[in-house]
Amino acid sequence: MPLVRKPTGQSPGPGPGPSAVPGNLVSGGTDERWAAARAAAEMPGAASTLAAALRNESDSRVREAMFTSLARIGTPESADHVISFLRSDSSNLRAGALDALRIMIGGMRELLPRLLDDRDVDIRILSCELARALPGPEATTLLCTLLSGEQEANVCAAAVDVLAEVGSPAALPALAACAQRFRGSPFLGFAIKTATDRINSQQPPSRA
Amino acid sequence: MPESQVLNEEEFRRLCDFLYRRTGMVFSEAKRYYVERRVVERMSATGSGTFASYFARLRTDAQGEIEQFVNAFTVNETYFYREDHQLQCLTTDLLTERIRHKKKGDSIRIWSAPCSSGEEPYSVAMWLLENWPLVDEYDIEIIGSDIDTAVLEAARAGIFGKRALMRLTPNLIEKYFSRLGEDNWQILEDLRTSVQFSAANIVELTETRPYGQFDVIFCRNVLIYFDDASRRIAAENLFENLLPGGFICLGHTESMSRISPLFEVRRFADAIVYQRPATGST
Repeated sequence: MPLVRKPTGQSPGPGPGPSAVPGNLVSGGTDERWAAARAAAEMPGAASTLAAALRNESDSRVREAMFTSLARIGTPESADHVISFLRSDSSNLRAGALDALRIMIGGMRELLPRLLDDRDVDIRILSCELARALPGPEATTLLCTLLSGEQEANVCAAAVDVLAEVGSPAALPALAACAQRFRGSPFLGFAIKTATDRINSQQPPSRA
Repeated sequence: MPESQVLNEEEFRRLCDFLYRRTGMVFSEAKRYYVERRVVERMSATGSGTFASYFARLRTDAQGEIEQFVNAFTVNETYFYREDHQLQCLTTDLLTERIRHKKKGDSIRIWSAPCSSGEEPYSVAMWLLENWPLVDEYDIEIIGSDIDTAVLEAARAGIFGKRALMRLTPNLIEKYFSRLGEDNWQILEDLRTSVQFSAANIVELTETRPYGQFDVIFCRNVLIYFDDASRRIAAENLFENLLPGGFICLGHTESMSRISPLFEVRRFADAIVYQRPATGST
């Protein structure tokens, strides 16, 4: 039988100790920066250090690990750092930040109303997507508040898309008002009709 | 809505959109009956009076409902030579690439995680012995890991029922198993001692890192059960556990591209697999 049962090891070795993490994050080789970024997830005070290193990080793999660690830290402070990357000129950083925020919805929950009211249209659009991870009633309330005053059709469309999945009948008045306000936008009208149909389709008991 | 339909059109779409977003599984109208039967089962099991209340439970993953729901959609039992197109890909393409920079006598490391009761790592061993002419020329190390220590004990014992062997030919059963009574077979000791089994949770870096780096990892039908955060952590752990240029095989409903950008997609004739880039990642 040619198969062997011979442990060959090849372990990459333990990760860096806490004291080595800050230095390795900025001046290590790619593998050291990656390992330091991952180790930083276990150091709740490391959010600022991680965010600072992330601003200058050029390797996509290490950036990914840094975003994951910021998400794992999961505090409002780390969420704030991640949110700052939503404003980056780099599409890679914006996408990385959005992915990280999706998995840290608990940590950034209290920041979401502020994001949905951000002056930047792109941030408001991205924030609608983040609301998808919230419980339905909470997401419905937040998105209906946004819809009631939102002037940008693209932001409304993002909110409507999420409401089509999570919305309850409580969203219907806000959707109708939005349709009325943007009656010149066939696309938004279609999206609102779809969302409204889906919400209306929720059926009474007796089938289970 | 037709009398026989459990979900109306919009509910069905809403559910399918959610399933796709959450798991990558795609169901069309043609699968409506299949989907509806499972929805009815889960609504009944959870005491949900309406689809709306069940869907709210599902979305928020109340009491692990997503896992229960996905379980209802997937075949949980495992068996020898399951998804053997990936085993074909292993010997036709993956190992061919992996040995390009190895010399005779070098090690080839293969990890089955999770391995459940051992069908997968033993299948890999049998497949290599049967289908890879170079099997004698390398030191092939096969490790099976699972979070569940009870199934690892069963894997070490190597005793299987008829259903686990359903994809094997009589010749293979004759060659690699000895019969234990009417309905059980035990895999030969030579093969049992060729595969190592040990506990590991692939979401815990401290548990995966000691395993070192592998040429090929089989990680099938488990990531689909994790939430987004755990999936992403597991992907980074598995990345570390691959040698540069190493491959990871997922289940047929899973896609690494939906989880992490760390890996490259490789499309071979028999399977789509994911590869740790051989060089830098910038």
